[in-house]
Amino acid sequence: MITAIWDQLKGLYSLIVGMIVTGRYFFAPQKTVHYPRKVVDPEDLAAYRGPLELTRGKDDESRTRCISCQMCAKGCPGNCIKVVKGTEGKLPSTWVYDFSLCCLCGACVEVCPASAIDFSHRLYLVVTSREELVMDLLADLKERVAANPLKPAPDVPAAAGQKAADAPSAGAAKNGEV
Amino acid sequence: MELSNISISGLIILVIACLLVIALMVVNAIVMVYAERKGAGFIQRRPGPYEVGPWGTLQPVVDSMKLLGKQIFVPSNVDFFLFFAAPVLAFFPVLLLFLPIPFGPFLTALKVPDGIVLILAFAGFGLLANLLAGYASNNKYGVLGAGRAVSQGVAYEIPMILALLAVVFQTGSMNLSEIVEAQGRWPWSWNILCQPLAFFIYLVTLVAETNRAPFDLPEGESELTAGFHTEYSGMGFALFFLAEYANMLLVSFVCATFFLGGYKGPVLDGFWWTFIKAYLVMMFIVWIRWTFPRVRFDQLLNINWKWLLPLSILNLWITAVVVNFIGK
Amino acid sequence: MSNFSFLNPFGVLDEPGTYMGDFYSHNFSKKAKEGTVILNLGPQHPSTHGVLRVLVELYGEYVMRSEPVLGYLHRSHEKMAEHKTAYGFLPNMGRVDYLNAIGWNWAYAASCEQLAGIQVPERAEYLRVISAELNRISSHLVWWGAFVLDLGAFTPILYAFDDREDLCDILQRVTGSRLTMNYFRFGGVGADGDERFFRLIREFIPRMRERLKMYRALVTDNVILRRRLEGIGSMDADMCLRYGATGPILRAAGVRRDVRKAIPYGIYDRFDYEIPVADRCDNFGRYWVRVEEIEQSLRIVEQAVAQIPEGKHIVDKAPKPAWKIPAGESVFSVEGARGEISVHVISDGGKSPYRVKLRAPGFSNLALFAEAAEGTLLADAIATLGSLDLVIPEIDR
Repeated sequence: MITAIWDQLKGLYSLIVGMIVTGRYFFAPQKTVHYPRKVVDPEDLAAYRGPLELTRGKDDESRTRCISCQMCAKGCPGNCIKVVKGTEGKLPSTWVYDFSLCCLCGACVEVCPASAIDFSHRLYLVVTSREELVMDLLADLKERVAANPLKPAPDVPAAAGQKAADAPSAGAAKNGEV
Repeated sequence: MELSNISISGLIILVIACLLVIALMVVNAIVMVYAERKGAGFIQRRPGPYEVGPWGTLQPVVDSMKLLGKQIFVPSNVDFFLFFAAPVLAFFPVLLLFLPIPFGPFLTALKVPDGIVLILAFAGFGLLANLLAGYASNNKYGVLGAGRAVSQGVAYEIPMILALLAVVFQTGSMNLSEIVEAQGRWPWSWNILCQPLAFFIYLVTLVAETNRAPFDLPEGESELTAGFHTEYSGMGFALFFLAEYANMLLVSFVCATFFLGGYKGPVLDGFWWTFIKAYLVMMFIVWIRWTFPRVRFDQLLNINWKWLLPLSILNLWITAVVVNFIGK
Repeated sequence: MSNFSFLNPFGVLDEPGTYMGDFYSHNFSKKAKEGTVILNLGPQHPSTHGVLRVLVELYGEYVMRSEPVLGYLHRSHEKMAEHKTAYGFLPNMGRVDYLNAIGWNWAYAASCEQLAGIQVPERAEYLRVISAELNRISSHLVWWGAFVLDLGAFTPILYAFDDREDLCDILQRVTGSRLTMNYFRFGGVGADGDERFFRLIREFIPRMRERLKMYRALVTDNVILRRRLEGIGSMDADMCLRYGATGPILRAAGVRRDVRKAIPYGIYDRFDYEIPVADRCDNFGRYWVRVEEIEQSLRIVEQAVAQIPEGKHIVDKAPKPAWKIPAGESVFSVEGARGEISVHVISDGGKSPYRVKLRAPGFSNLALFAEAAEGTLLADAIATLGSLDLVIPEIDR
């Protein structure tokens, strides 16, 4: 009888302990990241795998490094990459990437002999239709370079340009990408 | 109270009081939805409603608009009349229960000598609504929830009445105003100090009577999806929701009146003290809800029959002896 | 078609009440006793964690009989393996069991490596252990939260996800994704951990230990939870062995079997850790074993981070996507968060494996449910179901 009452009292005490825990958290700072007003620390996103993007060219950064070798298209488990070789050297004429089929496994990035592909860190990508997920990465590359040229146009002496060209590849190395 | 005693002015007061109580119920639901979600949010280290209005204050309003606009879905083979009668029946009896409560010194809608009897008698109506809702909606979860609601409600009403009866013994009156008047201004002269056991029992039964966690078995989400109101959508659901919060408010008012000195406070007696005390009790219920897991059904009944009932009888007996031989 | 209705379009209803539901519930209800109710828990039900469906026969609230119905999330992973390249099947491993992706990664990668005789570099082994143990912690955290949610407490799951968020950040540093991780490669791992990765882990371990104390105060010691779990859902050693249960369920029945100790793979023999074993056989035993495993995994990670050598994270000339597995067959078992994960690869030397058999621990563990739930209350049956730590995609595969 007494042990039964004692057990009940101990049980009640455990309930009070639980309430103290939640009560303390009531006044603790919150963990939520209010998305449109605050964004995730970009350093945390360094290895984040967003949709693919083509890396900037070494000499002419608006040109892709892709050599149309089709390794990525063959290695892709989801068949989401379509590369067509163009007339101008080894450069591709179309580079279409279907993000809706991509499983972000990284096989293409790892296999590319020219390191022409990389994961972008576009965490906040929003589309309104399925068609928009089929991306033309060549056009995307041109847009990105036009919006944010890291080095002046290619006719400027190469020494100045070479330094700046390392910037994106340094970023890629930080990704922990292979 | 005899019918002939009601004068025309009394009738007008009653009608105004009913309207005010309806307004109170709706405002209370809005305030409590906000308070509950904010409370839950803070406990869980998130802000709760945040986007609609300043600090999310308009969230419950928007939610109720959404509920109003929802399609009222009626499953096949329901008992049509009972299916729609149940939410109404859940909502309206609560209205009556607010009338005898002394909100302030002169703010009582229905001055009846046996106010607590009226409240306890009509409090059982909510159970009936739950039973009808579960039975009428032609859903197995609903029937299970209804069964749980009834056995839980019936069981917990007994210690609840006995706990309140101890206070009634002590005061010597069933009039709620007199019970408040018998208590002092300061916390140490409230009934919570003379009747701690009764207060504790009442607090437990209060959570059980309002079907709140950890005693939310009739609607235990992980077991019965939503229990007796599984099939209700739109306004049917909203009425149950409203009734739940109104019931919470009611038991909190009774708690404030019986144990926490009602409208009396250290300074400036008035209805604000009643409200502050009642809402503190409600925040306590919210706090409990977001902390504990749910008890099992047989445990729930065991707690009642094996612990609360003997304890409340013991408490009542001691009170009776003390009142009889030692005096108040 | 006189008795046509939209509920019964083919008119198979002879008289009301003789035919209920689909094939499964029809057959299940044939054996129903007088006065019982057949209840469908799921596929849409708050506590079946996905799309598991359980048919229960209720007498009042007592479960007389129950039968899990599977297949609502079947994605034919095993068949996909026969059509994809060996390398192309790796991403599937993260999708088999979304909470314990690294465990499955390891089982498949190591099975193929065993067949090809690839030796994994030292540093890669350490990275494998670190990521696998962190993943085990994150899986147990989700289970812990969801299990307590089944018992009616909502707050713990958000605390668990709070901690899991840190783990996701850590794992994302190397794996690139937060949930369906595709980290292992044949002959190593996908990426090397950088300074920030190891710093985050070192910061995480003491923080998690503090949190475990809080979990204990809030949930483990809670009297309501104790009484909900103790003595409920008995699965003894004999029953576990009969059904082939593995992992924490077997260990909660007093059998000290953990693949990490029984058939040490990788470098698990280098670490000092214990296998938590409870002989309670009940829901609380399973609860306790898993919470203890979090602590033990923290110990392993702590040692691995301290010992990790410099070196390569993947062998030179690691297999390319077009790699063909040499002909032969191999089985590799790994201790996942839910039990023993085995991957059996049979290759005829072609582009894709000839056959891949995935042994999911959850499938065998679920089999215990029907027997354990018999005669318990509905609420206890749900607690028992939760204590099995089911991940439905893994069961259906």
